[in-house]
Amino acid sequence: MTTHPRPVLGPPPTATILPRNQQRLANGMRATFVQAGAVPMASVRLVLRTGSADVPKGQAWLDRFVHDYLREGTEARDASAFADALAGFGGRLTVDADEHTTVLRTEVLAERAPEAIALLAEVARTPRFPESEAERLLNDLRRGLDLALAQPQYVTFAAFRAAVYGDHPYGRVIPEASAFDTFNAAMARAFWESQVGAQRALLLVGGLFDEDATVAAWRAAFENWTPGPAASTNRPTPAAARSLHLVDRPGAEQSTVYVGRSVPDPTHPDYVALEVTNSLLGGSFHSRITMNIREAKGYTYSPHAIVSNRPGDAYWVEIADVTTAVTGPAIGEVFAETERLRSEAPDAEELIGIQNYASGNFVLRQATPGGILDHLEFLDLHGLDERYSASYVERVRAVTPDEVQRIAQQYLGTDGMTIAIAGDRSVIDAQLEAYGPPSA
Amino acid sequence: MTTRERAFDLQLPVQRHTLANGLRVVLSADHSAPIICVAVYYHVGMRLEPRGRTGFAHLFEHLMFQGSESMAKMEIAALVQANGGNLNGSTRYDYTNYFEAMPAHTLDLALWMEADRMRGPVITQAELDNQRDVVKNEIRVNVLNRPYGSFPWIDMQAAAFTNWHNSHNGYGDMADLDAASLEDVQSFFNSYYSPANAVLVVVGDVQEAQAMELIRRYFEEIPAAPRPAPAAIDEPRQEEERRVSHLDALANKPALAISYHVPERGSREYYALGLLDQVLLQGDDSLLYQEIVSRRGYAGGIDGGINFLGHMHNGQTPLLWTAELIHDRDVTTDQILEAIDAVIERVRTEPLSQAVLDRALVKARASLYETINDQYYPGFGRADLLASFELFEDDAAQVNTIEQRFAAVTPDLMMETAREYLRTSNRTVLVVEPGVAE
Repeated sequence: MTTHPRPVLGPPPTATILPRNQQRLANGMRATFVQAGAVPMASVRLVLRTGSADVPKGQAWLDRFVHDYLREGTEARDASAFADALAGFGGRLTVDADEHTTVLRTEVLAERAPEAIALLAEVARTPRFPESEAERLLNDLRRGLDLALAQPQYVTFAAFRAAVYGDHPYGRVIPEASAFDTFNAAMARAFWESQVGAQRALLLVGGLFDEDATVAAWRAAFENWTPGPAASTNRPTPAAARSLHLVDRPGAEQSTVYVGRSVPDPTHPDYVALEVTNSLLGGSFHSRITMNIREAKGYTYSPHAIVSNRPGDAYWVEIADVTTAVTGPAIGEVFAETERLRSEAPDAEELIGIQNYASGNFVLRQATPGGILDHLEFLDLHGLDERYSASYVERVRAVTPDEVQRIAQQYLGTDGMTIAIAGDRSVIDAQLEAYGPPSA
Repeated sequence: MTTRERAFDLQLPVQRHTLANGLRVVLSADHSAPIICVAVYYHVGMRLEPRGRTGFAHLFEHLMFQGSESMAKMEIAALVQANGGNLNGSTRYDYTNYFEAMPAHTLDLALWMEADRMRGPVITQAELDNQRDVVKNEIRVNVLNRPYGSFPWIDMQAAAFTNWHNSHNGYGDMADLDAASLEDVQSFFNSYYSPANAVLVVVGDVQEAQAMELIRRYFEEIPAAPRPAPAAIDEPRQEEERRVSHLDALANKPALAISYHVPERGSREYYALGLLDQVLLQGDDSLLYQEIVSRRGYAGGIDGGINFLGHMHNGQTPLLWTAELIHDRDVTTDQILEAIDAVIERVRTEPLSQAVLDRALVKARASLYETINDQYYPGFGRADLLASFELFEDDAAQVNTIEQRFAAVTPDLMMETAREYLRTSNRTVLVVEPGVAE
């Protein structure tokens, strides 16, 4: 039986950027509203420019303690009443955070968006921090640390970060459990109050909602908020030389591997080309590294490369959990693929496929409220605006094979890569001799 | 348009067709964004894999990316990517699905690809061996090298179910994976991957008539084969509580899970249990969160729900409703069970207030809408619901009755359902003993 020939598609349509209603209050707070999606839900995110990088040295996880505490109610209602109120709109409070961002987030039935905004404002502006809950939340923190330390991915991430960023807050991932004993309600409140205010706040709403009522609710909830502090900056000096860092996990079936190095941040003119290069090298399912160490060699299930970014800072990293016996060879293949790209430009067809992937995925990300809000958070974090969105696909398509090689040459030299591994050292140390002596 | 005037009930457009070879087709247009999701569901999953070949349904899923009549190994992934999309597949108890979310102009190609692999994998021993290694590494990263890796989803299935189809480990034993051969691949394909045993769902920015024309062009000529017999997955009524304990060499804290067999999918009681799940377990306002986390501080959270591999709408019963938590060593299993039992006993003996029921309804609705809003594979959440109702209730359009089924639940029905299904004798308790010293 013959099958039909493979269809030839027309050119992809240009990406649709849905209209963004951007507003600003006199106190400096900003908001963006986007009508999107196909179901009557609203995603509401109160993005606050504070994160783990703002925590004083020696107090790592104070931010996590504060985030847990934010769930314990507001001046107007206790934890249970608050949870009931938000659940009555279909929502629950999620606190997402990283180095510079704390997001109070909920998804509610669309007609409840104005009321949900008022509730998030209560959390941000008038959190309760009840002393009666401090000991329980500290126990949760201690338990959470123990559980995290048992996860190979977490300890490898921490080792990689410490190696790349040293004593900068980005490098101080694992807290000192003894410091938890000094945390209390007053400290949580003082930290929060020192961090938040209108100048550091951005409200994002995406979904199908009554825009006039929602904008009015935002104004009412936030227009008399004090401006508060300006956003902090604290740029790191990342490591630039090869180093090897090992965490021993006797008997481990796999080695958890991080291999990467510092690269340009999203405001750099090379960033879009770097993203394309990453997708080709390791950042997509059909990328070179994945086709090699998964599809040809079977060393691993879920290898992936990412460009992880913070304001003014980024690193490229390949992450994989590989069979213990092939830990050294797996890193060898990652390096070989990287060096191959540095010595030889990709052919045009391979690059066009990756460019289509990058631009098509941009279209997919603009198709749902969650994807749109993620993109808006990214823009805001890096001081970018709608021009970045509007020109993104065009910039992806402008990347040439020579440029990809130039990006790899300039930024992805394997001699400057940091390697962090959690695995069974009695087996893997001998496999890793080519990568230098392990750091203490 | 004012949202306050909109009816609560979400009505998805649903068009259903059956091709001459028995392939069922479901279309649901959504013009809110220029994207599509194409999904093929084969009505075979872990429950139907052969004895001595545990993990085979999942291994087979991997092989469906390794080449077919017109596509080389991984070419399907290359084609999806090079046309702007993302693809994946997953193996569940009763189905295996393959899907791609893509920009809308790629519909023709996406359908062509899925039709090509519906004719069967064309693979070599080397490709089978490679994917066997990949699957073993998947099991290592998700189970063997991870604390709580088999908790509770693998260990509880084994403890709570008596029927092998339901109780065995669908990720597979390494020895069974080693035994899998190319003959097994062909035989499994012949038995279960016929058009009549599949549902094709297309959602997103499509014109239905044009989509049907393409679907007929590519799929109708795939040869028909008889639909296989369904698995005999019945479970007897559980009459006595079971308790099982496992040592986890990588865990440093004890953990506890409790599971109850749930009512039959589609029944009034099933929806009552779905609302009990909202009342008892979902969110900070839930009764178990309030009692176990907020009041007693036994854990930082308590998780769970219906169906380890999804949610109540995309699984076929028998399924379990499970609550699980990780706790400190200074609290005993019995202390926690006693606290949980007090909460559960309350919903078994006292009718819930209408206000609590109303909040559960709102939460269930929001949860359903969130499923449809799937951010990572846009359109897939909708496709998954439609396919599940087509497979399990013979009519994808029944997805539009979910909200009225929830709305028909009364406080009395919830109490009756709790009394029968949340009985201690219908429960299995699974304990994880930490193997790592503190």
